[in-house]
Amino acid sequence: MRVLLLVLCGAVALVPALTANNLVLSVLTFTFILGILAVSFNLIYGITGQLTLFHAAAFGVGAYATHLSMAHWSISFWLGSAFAMGCVAVVSLLLGIVCFRFRLKEFYFAVVTLAFAEMIRLVVMNWHGLTNGSLGINFNLKPSVGVPGVGALVIEGPVRWYYFSLACVVVIVLAYQLVVNSWIGNAFKAIRLNEDVAASLGLNAFRYKLLSFVLGSMGASFAGGLYSHYMGFVDPHLLDINQSLAILSMALIGGTGSVAAPVVGALVVTALPHLIDLNAEWRLLIYGLILILTILLMPQGIVGSLQRLRKHA
Amino acid sequence: MMQLIAGQLINGIIVGSLYGIIALAVSLTSGITGVVNFALGAFMLVGAYLTWHLNETYGVAFPFAVILVMGVVALIGLVADVLLFRHTRNNLINGLIVSIGLVSVIVALVHMTWTSTPQNMQPFVTGVFTVGGVVVPKMKLLMGVVLILIVSMTYLGLTRTWMGRAAYAYAQNPEAAALMGVATGRLQVGVAAFGAALCGLAGSMYATLYSLTPDIGALYMLKGVEGALLAGIGSVIGALFGGILIGVAEGLGSVFLPLAFNDAYGLLMLVLVLLFRPAGLFGRR
Amino acid sequence: MLEIDHVTKRFGGLVAVDDVVFRIAEREIVGIFGPNGSGKTTLMNVIAGVFSATRGEVRWKGRALGGLSTDEVAACGVVKTFQNPQLFRELTVAENVRVAGHLLLKSELGAARVRTIFPSAFRTEAARKIDARVAAVLEMTRLEAQARQLAGSLSYGGEKMLGVAMALMCAPSMLLLDEPGSGLSHDELDRLSEVLRRLRGQGMTLCVIDHRVGFLGALADRAIVLYHGSKIAEGTPSQVLSQRAVIEAYLGDAHVA
Repeated sequence: MRVLLLVLCGAVALVPALTANNLVLSVLTFTFILGILAVSFNLIYGITGQLTLFHAAAFGVGAYATHLSMAHWSISFWLGSAFAMGCVAVVSLLLGIVCFRFRLKEFYFAVVTLAFAEMIRLVVMNWHGLTNGSLGINFNLKPSVGVPGVGALVIEGPVRWYYFSLACVVVIVLAYQLVVNSWIGNAFKAIRLNEDVAASLGLNAFRYKLLSFVLGSMGASFAGGLYSHYMGFVDPHLLDINQSLAILSMALIGGTGSVAAPVVGALVVTALPHLIDLNAEWRLLIYGLILILTILLMPQGIVGSLQRLRKHA
Repeated sequence: MMQLIAGQLINGIIVGSLYGIIALAVSLTSGITGVVNFALGAFMLVGAYLTWHLNETYGVAFPFAVILVMGVVALIGLVADVLLFRHTRNNLINGLIVSIGLVSVIVALVHMTWTSTPQNMQPFVTGVFTVGGVVVPKMKLLMGVVLILIVSMTYLGLTRTWMGRAAYAYAQNPEAAALMGVATGRLQVGVAAFGAALCGLAGSMYATLYSLTPDIGALYMLKGVEGALLAGIGSVIGALFGGILIGVAEGLGSVFLPLAFNDAYGLLMLVLVLLFRPAGLFGRR
Repeated sequence: MLEIDHVTKRFGGLVAVDDVVFRIAEREIVGIFGPNGSGKTTLMNVIAGVFSATRGEVRWKGRALGGLSTDEVAACGVVKTFQNPQLFRELTVAENVRVAGHLLLKSELGAARVRTIFPSAFRTEAARKIDARVAAVLEMTRLEAQARQLAGSLSYGGEKMLGVAMALMCAPSMLLLDEPGSGLSHDELDRLSEVLRRLRGQGMTLCVIDHRVGFLGALADRAIVLYHGSKIAEGTPSQVLSQRAVIEAYLGDAHVA
């Protein structure tokens, strides 16, 4: 198993050397960026058991905040991204306090987060002065990484974006994995499995649900900053309910049982429109079917099912 | 001014009765399952488009179309329950995800079949009554009559049939229902079909009054939930009036406040009421 | 020491616990007897913070427990088990106990536990300590053989013992046990008594609910009897169980049942 993983890592690292096909690079770059989005969602949903439909809003707000702070204050991508993560942290903290204080059952938590996400989307769409409304904003700013000895390396072009996004997803996944491996991850899992027992053992469920929600939403914000800089624009569609459905689909397909599994789901969902030519209605139909079929037939997702097969083999 | 208010009041009652029918469906089905089934809005959407389609393309007269559509949508609701929701009875989150998936599939299919161009149905009854300077389209009056019929028939059904009485009992007392465990399979399926039929009816009524676009399901679902919440948990017939009140709040609200936000006025009223009466207007806690 | 100071608990019109007063000294095993419906579990739930008392106060080591949530009460050192075993069924026995180490880690390391997120000698050391404690608890409750079994696959007696093990992992000063012996076989009951006695020997205070006279009568140092929410007797088990009122309470209920 370890060998397989190493081979996979090697292959992933070498892809740009093996192919000059920009489409492949682009699909994989999107996979990595959206993988961050799906993995951060899964921290809240798969690990801690709270279905959040706020994630697209965190993604969109992160994208807007990153760009707007960079444009208005002339700061670097990293500072802008940090600022955006701070904004999203504050918003999700407030929303989380409201939801968890009232001990909302998981079902109602999902509905309330959805309502808030919609409200924020409407604000973004109508605040023309700040966000340019439904037209969105096109821009040409790029992130740059300070490399010792070389200076500032601007991330542009398919190859640089590929490695940059790959590095980002690896770092984020490792960071989340460290958290999940610690007592914090144990607390998250305990809350998902049986909140009453967890409380009787001294676990403050409110605090840990809040932590999970904020950490996950901040990850979505970072993904938003990456995504919008890769695409060169922000627009309110990033905050659509459909986006939340796509994220949920990615987590369900990849598997909700482990930290990194949703990246596989991101690959499937990203590659699909390229394998089959789809317009918006078809995409909606496919997401709907994915949601229904994975819940009913393959609740562990691809990675989970593979792990099960391995155990029985 | 008075005429404006009276006119808006009547409009509000009419659209509110559509909300009320959906609120009734919400109240009954959530009484049985414990959660709101968002697919109900999609059933209304299907009902609306099917009614228009039957009338426009096949020339089916409106009353027959309504009955046919109610049957078809009830069947859809039944199949959805048996095929999908039966497997998620124990896991409400999975049920939510499946219902979101179902809504997506239905909306996408509607979009693909009939496009997003607004469609309009020939009104069943044309002409207006004028009462004291207030103009009321005859169709809307007919709606009011239909609503009264629905209320009576539903009340009879809930108090005279065994399934109705069981469903009524569950909906009026969800805590007791939870203690008794999951309702029998037949009851669940029956309520699912009836709830879907109600939404199909609401859709048919909608089709004859307003223009159709693929996004109306979500909007009316929201209004139906607002109506059910306003009436309160345990209040089934009250949900009908809850919906009407939401409609009236929207209608009157847009007299004094900007029209653009009229969807929000019902919600505003709901929040205000819940602040002072958390159990809803007719709810018991 | 635990002080129950005129605690009353009402649910609407129903008085579940009626003006109960008693004390539990450290290192005592106190039994709470009473027929079904006498308010034993409700009283224990009030102590543990599941319900708040309608009137009266519960004090632990001088500190009032009223208004604290269940997790805060557990953090004070008072841990309760569930009458129907509540476990993490999808995890193994050992994992259940390890998850229960949450409070222990907090009390041992405090804010420094943040350092255990990153791989380091500090983390390895902390993990070793937790593992050692898990092993000790499993050994104490005779569950080492089933450490790798899924909690959901244990026998009923095993589940109850796991509940006790998880409570022990929190390093409580006082353990509240709600009918730990119900549903157990004779052997399992003996094992449970032995474990509880050992715990008392190690300095723990125990408060045990049970309505089986044989099991709890032999185990407890002192006992109180509840009937319809009120305390009707207090003393050593033999004193209490020979009182007329107590016998009537039990026999009377047997007749009704």
